[in-house]
Amino acid sequence: MDVIEIEGLTKRFGDVLAVDNVSFKVKKGEIFGFLGPNGAGKTTLLNILVTVLKPTSGTARVAGYDVLKYPLKVREKIGVVFQDITLDRELTGRENLWIHGRVYGVNTSRLKKRIDELSRFIELEKWIDVQVKKYSGGMMRRLEIARALIHNPEILFLDEPTLGLDPQTRVHVWDYIKRLRREHGITVFLTTHYMDEAEKLCDRVAIIDHGKIISMGKPEDLTRQIDREIVYVRVDEADGFKVEKMFKALGENGFVEGFRMLEDKTLRFLVDDASKAIPKIFEVLQGFKVRIREVKYSKPTLEDVFLQLTGKSLREYEAGFVEHVRLYHRRR
Amino acid sequence: MFRFREALISVYVMWYRQVKRFVRARSRLIGSIAQPLFWMLFFGLGFSSALSFQEARSFGLGYMSFLIPGIVMMAVFFTSFTAGISVIWDKEFGFLKEVLVAPASRSLLIFGRALGDSTVAALQGFIVLVVAYFLTPTLLLDGIPIFTLTVFLTALTFTCLGIALASKVRSIEGFHLLTTFIAMPTLFLSGAFFPVETMPEWMKILAFINPLTYSVDAARKILTNIGFFSLPLNLMVLLGSTLIFTFIAAWIFEKTTVE
Repeated sequence: MDVIEIEGLTKRFGDVLAVDNVSFKVKKGEIFGFLGPNGAGKTTLLNILVTVLKPTSGTARVAGYDVLKYPLKVREKIGVVFQDITLDRELTGRENLWIHGRVYGVNTSRLKKRIDELSRFIELEKWIDVQVKKYSGGMMRRLEIARALIHNPEILFLDEPTLGLDPQTRVHVWDYIKRLRREHGITVFLTTHYMDEAEKLCDRVAIIDHGKIISMGKPEDLTRQIDREIVYVRVDEADGFKVEKMFKALGENGFVEGFRMLEDKTLRFLVDDASKAIPKIFEVLQGFKVRIREVKYSKPTLEDVFLQLTGKSLREYEAGFVEHVRLYHRRR
Repeated sequence: MFRFREALISVYVMWYRQVKRFVRARSRLIGSIAQPLFWMLFFGLGFSSALSFQEARSFGLGYMSFLIPGIVMMAVFFTSFTAGISVIWDKEFGFLKEVLVAPASRSLLIFGRALGDSTVAALQGFIVLVVAYFLTPTLLLDGIPIFTLTVFLTALTFTCLGIALASKVRSIEGFHLLTTFIAMPTLFLSGAFFPVETMPEWMKILAFINPLTYSVDAARKILTNIGFFSLPLNLMVLLGSTLIFTFIAAWIFEKTTVE
């Protein structure tokens, strides 16, 4: 059964097409991820699905209801965690959950039970009566997830759930999301610009750039499209002239396609067979007396898929001013 | 479909949040009382000794007694107007954004919030009045019930005005512009610092369309028994402005979107 059905959805802000004729479906119990760089239109799309933004054209049905015609019905069925922390920091965790529950029409006795249950689920029982401003970023995120679950929604929407969190906390948050699906059969729709998040957490991923879905499928199927291996070589050389000559020589040795210099002086090669390619790469580089600092190779990741499809790296998108402000707030 | 119980809960919960926040944030309380106190002490006492001007004397009032109802209303006005405007941040980056996806009436939620902010503003007004009473014990306190009503209507009017204006503004610059172009003139044209009757004619017209003028006049009438308009007129105008601005704020918030 499809719990989210999007057909030809478009959102225009003046001249800017934020979401460009997007169509897709999400099945019940799926963890579905929208992967794309900042400004790709992920949040705009999510805002439309959770009924706080109206689309310019196209239709969106969430939990069986059209978002334009029955926004209240949709809101009853969904839980949302926005990109920015939307907790009241002056209030305690319990008060935040309580207010939310009451607004959602959960009755008092049931609400009390639910708060106890959920604070245990997110392992914040000891903190639940402490003011939220004393929480860490990860704790706030967990509390927000608990809040979004209070009214037993069918679908959980998460906008960049682990933005600005440290690696350990991110893994922790992923575990909660996976458990939700496993134990409660909740459908999860999330946006992210972290390829590892999409890869490790999502059943299916839609890669979005400039408001358009450019590829969609299971992460392993998407990466399988690239029938190659990736070799990374970190070198000491930064002299532009020498690098150019080096590139030329590499090209003459058959590394024509898909090699490039990444930040931190790392060369990235797309090769058919890493075990054969690495000695060859060494040979060429040694001819230039370049010192090799580090070599690694891997199967293609979603990052490579994105690179292949758009010619750009996910990381190459500069975080805009708003993102910086966001991160600053998060880190406080 | 209108469900009365759910409606009451929405209003109550939002009210509860604002009041709880106020109780928690003691620094805010101190800050909001310090400002009117400085006005009374430094401006009020300074002015009343420098010139006890004609109008004040002809009222049979010292300048302090003349000023204090104005300062109390100033405190209520600033607190409620700022609270209303702060809805911008709360809606774009805060708690209120989350409330936008709740299956409840947005008008009722924002009305609850406005009631909460008004309660807080009214409480602050009362605290200022208590402090003022120590400075000027000649204030009349028998009209406190009507005074409470006046303070509350004033607070609700300006909270809702703030909310309505805030929904048209998306930047910090806009926030400052509102303070400069709405808050300051409203205060100066309210008769809080000097009487309306001695204003130039053109200024009087502005004062007459300013709801705060009626709040200040009502407070002055109640606390010192001297006023320009009659008390029922003041209250009628305030009731009208409260209804109008509450309706506008609820209407604008109902169709708000996040961008």
